Amino acid sequence: MSITYLEAIREAQAHALRDDPRVFIYGQDVGAFGGAHKATKNLAREFPGRVLDSPISEDAMMGLAVGAAIEGMRPIVEMQFADFSTVGFNQIINQAATLFWRTNVPCPLTVRLPFGGTSGSGPFHSQCMETVYAHYPGLIVLTPATVEDAYSMLLEAVAIDDPVIFCEHKFLYYHLKAEALPSEALPVGKARIAREGRDMTIVAYSAMLHEALEAAKELVPEGWEVEVVDLRSVKPIDTDTVMASVARTGRLLCVGEAWPWGGVTAEIIARVSSEGYGLLDAPPQRLNAKDTPVPYHPNLWAAHRPTARAITAAARKLLRL
Amino acid sequence: MLQTVLEPGTAENAASFRETYLAAYRFMLLARLLDDKFAALWRSGRIHGGVFLGRGQEALSAASGVWLKKGDVFAPLIRDAAGRLAFGETVLDAARTYLGSAQGPMRGRDGNVHRGKPKEGYLPMISHLGAMISVVNGILFARRFKKITGTVGVASIGDGATSTGAFHEALNQAAVEKLPLVLIIADNQYAYSTPTSRQFACRDLADKAVGYGVEVDSVDGTDLNACLKTVGAAVARARAGRGPQMVVAKLLRLCGHGEHDDASYIDPKLKASPLGRDCLKEAEEHLVRQKWADAAALATWRGEVVREIEEAVARVQREPAPDPFAEEWRAISSKQLSEGNE
Amino acid sequence: MPQIPIIMPQLGESIAEANIISFLVKPGDTIEAGQDLIEVETNKATMTVTAPCGGRIENFTAQLNESYAVGATLGRIETTKEEAARLGLDVSTPVKPGDTERVSKGSGNGNRSRVQPTVRGLPVPANATGASYLSPRLKARMVELGLSAADLAGVAGSGAAGRVTVEDFERFIAHLEKQKTSQASSMRVAVADAMRRSWTRPLAHVGMPVCLDPLFAFRKVTRPKPGPALCALRALAVALAENSAPAGRLVGNKIVHPSSIDIAFAVEAEEGVLVPVIRNADQRSLKDLIAPYNELVGLARERKLPPDATGGSIATVTNFGTFGLEWATPIPLPEQTLVLGMGAARHAPSWDSVKGQFVPIMEANLTLSFDHRVIDGGAAGRLLQHVADLMSKPGEL
Repeated sequence: MSITYLEAIREAQAHALRDDPRVFIYGQDVGAFGGAHKATKNLAREFPGRVLDSPISEDAMMGLAVGAAIEGMRPIVEMQFADFSTVGFNQIINQAATLFWRTNVPCPLTVRLPFGGTSGSGPFHSQCMETVYAHYPGLIVLTPATVEDAYSMLLEAVAIDDPVIFCEHKFLYYHLKAEALPSEALPVGKARIAREGRDMTIVAYSAMLHEALEAAKELVPEGWEVEVVDLRSVKPIDTDTVMASVARTGRLLCVGEAWPWGGVTAEIIARVSSEGYGLLDAPPQRLNAKDTPVPYHPNLWAAHRPTARAITAAARKLLRL
Repeated sequence: MLQTVLEPGTAENAASFRETYLAAYRFMLLARLLDDKFAALWRSGRIHGGVFLGRGQEALSAASGVWLKKGDVFAPLIRDAAGRLAFGETVLDAARTYLGSAQGPMRGRDGNVHRGKPKEGYLPMISHLGAMISVVNGILFARRFKKITGTVGVASIGDGATSTGAFHEALNQAAVEKLPLVLIIADNQYAYSTPTSRQFACRDLADKAVGYGVEVDSVDGTDLNACLKTVGAAVARARAGRGPQMVVAKLLRLCGHGEHDDASYIDPKLKASPLGRDCLKEAEEHLVRQKWADAAALATWRGEVVREIEEAVARVQREPAPDPFAEEWRAISSKQLSEGNE
Repeated sequence: MPQIPIIMPQLGESIAEANIISFLVKPGDTIEAGQDLIEVETNKATMTVTAPCGGRIENFTAQLNESYAVGATLGRIETTKEEAARLGLDVSTPVKPGDTERVSKGSGNGNRSRVQPTVRGLPVPANATGASYLSPRLKARMVELGLSAADLAGVAGSGAAGRVTVEDFERFIAHLEKQKTSQASSMRVAVADAMRRSWTRPLAHVGMPVCLDPLFAFRKVTRPKPGPALCALRALAVALAENSAPAGRLVGNKIVHPSSIDIAFAVEAEEGVLVPVIRNADQRSLKDLIAPYNELVGLARERKLPPDATGGSIATVTNFGTFGLEWATPIPLPEQTLVLGMGAARHAPSWDSVKGQFVPIMEANLTLSFDHRVIDGGAAGRLLQHVADLMSKPGEL
């Protein structure tokens, strides 16, 4: 028996709907159709009246979710693609993210963002949006990289009293499989050492975790043992775990699928440079996508974002410094 | 005390329309004098940031609030001092927010018209026009989930907001979901300095309703009598489950967009027209004509209101401002997920 | 009676100042809270400034047709204590953190915000290449163990361009721990540090033989006897008194001139070398220096030198001849430019041009080690020659 990343997300939603009457799912095509990615397949049937189709109105979808959250519900809004959440950006960052700080009333909603690139998706079905949301105070941003985390972190997202941006990677939906769903998990806010090492630390999240693990394997015959940290959440970042890893290895490479200006990789390096300066034996490095919109053609797409090969090349450079 | 005599919701239980009219008039008077007070405080440097008045719109505003009960939802626009008071806001809370008292509902974290109490159905606006409508929708939507019936949500906007995407999406959503939303549009002819000729090309904002599949009523916004009747009917229809209701009121803004604006662009012809009538004066004349109050009563009420405002404002001015070193600089409620602050 | 200032309000978001158009009341008038007092004009509109409380206009300090910044005081209202307390005006205006940008012309609120900026951080080095590069982590470890770059001289680096990585370093330390070690004395460590610091300069050495016969002849007829090192010291002092430039110190692009001719001399004590100082050695004759010199030597050998007996000297003299050395290249103290050295005296042939043959003399090498940033070989040679000349006439020292 094996379960995919997408099925884990569906299972988590089913459990949430079953265990908490305050939960409902709202998004385009989520009802009978089961969602564009089938993340809500059969849920409308199993939970009548709880999985509802919305008009193509990301602004109104988010506003409605905020209102429902004020009223005590726990809405899960499915954005069909992360790229479309920009239409609802105002409601997310100005309404949902500021409600608690302005009024002391928490806003327990969850926004599911199918994000990240798959071959042929092009500029508007591939974006990584975690950077812009993490920047605004008042939001929690999660980036599960494993099937187990997709399940447990979505359950926890619904339980958290604050607005959660749940970034689910589209490439991992069907490509990633696990044996079973977990019965226990690391809490949100803690990073995980995905691979223990000694010579260098790679910090990654979401789909890039798997590229990083692949790269680490490639370096073993050359005598290097690379430690890989899976951030799991990018807001908050588990700085302690990252710092402890760099304390062990002295070298840091951050990998992200998002664009180079700012973002998670810049944030990690900023923190390690200022709080852990004396831990670094070499300048920290980062690897991001190229600073252009995400290309459509598979050849271009393959060169646009970091891959295991690009990571090993960057790692070798850093190991030899 | 004005507040205890005029509990919101007395309108519904009032024996007669007269009681409602009188209650609404008192809210208009309070709103007008409170607005004047805020303007004076701003011009003496005691209020920081912007001051936004509702002079000329009190009749429509009072009508928007006076038919609402406890449990209803109200998302006012910036010129709804009267409606907010009718819905239950206290003069103290309004003054506290404007004067930045740490004891106000927003605790200094937001100010002027951005105030409210979400759990009481009184929504604190964000600045983006049209954005509050879908939040009202959300509350009504959730009520339906919880099988709560009989509540209504009023969202109050101006002519300018009708151009936003947020307005469009939310109105459409309310109609599709058949929510008990009452959308009250105060068409006061100007959005800041932009006349309505540059805001929309349809003949009348009321013409938009059919496009969304919602019922609509138009009303003279300067006439308290008409406003009360029209808004009351719309609220009743929504409460009865007839789906979203739109009310388009025509009036004229009798002040600047904010107090920093002298409104010199307003067409003097409009000011001189019936649209430019002062609804407060009109209401007082109506009261006297109907023999529901005489000049002495009006003067007494005015005196009471002035004193109430003076006391509230003086009290708030003695209250402490927020202390940045005592603030908890945390934007989420989950402490363990907060990254800590420098 | 409290006086409440009338402040220019912020009459619009980006408004910084306003112009006074007219006064609507005059000093002495009784006014109410909220009453219009002054008409002003901003870029956007004409507005009025209203009274913050009731009372009597005390004065207007603003003038017609002048511009005043937001926050400036325009006048004062005299009011009762009760009125001021009622409106909370008796407490000073609290600091408003957002309020830090003000065009202050008049007397505005002078409080500066105490809120600290939230950006902190140290820059990351741009490139890690080159053998001398020490990474932050390596530096931190070195500080922890009390090491300096000189201690890494023997460590082979495996990093880019041969730099020592933290792994290389840890291996080196681990290796050391396997060897026999003994504790270096604190004097040894101090000398090591001084020599290391001195060596960061480009040091050069010159030398010449000097005939000691006149000095030995002088000693035969003098009581007490001056030692050769003292003679050299006195000669150096006289030479530097005439021209102190060679003993100057270079700091950046400035040469710091010596203020007094204080010369130190090296005394070997247990575990190291001490350098007591003869102050103003140019102002006392050789004869008068003998007693103080001998006293300092004694104190140094017993490690009983008083604190004012060391430090502050401009050059040092060292007699390495006492170790039997004919030639040496001493290292100047890190705070000095010069060290004059004298080697062991020996019999040597010297060409006598009068007699036309070699004659035996007593000879020793005189050396000068110097910081080549301050003086060149020519100046060093001239100084050395001058010292040699002075030492050939010991009676005049």
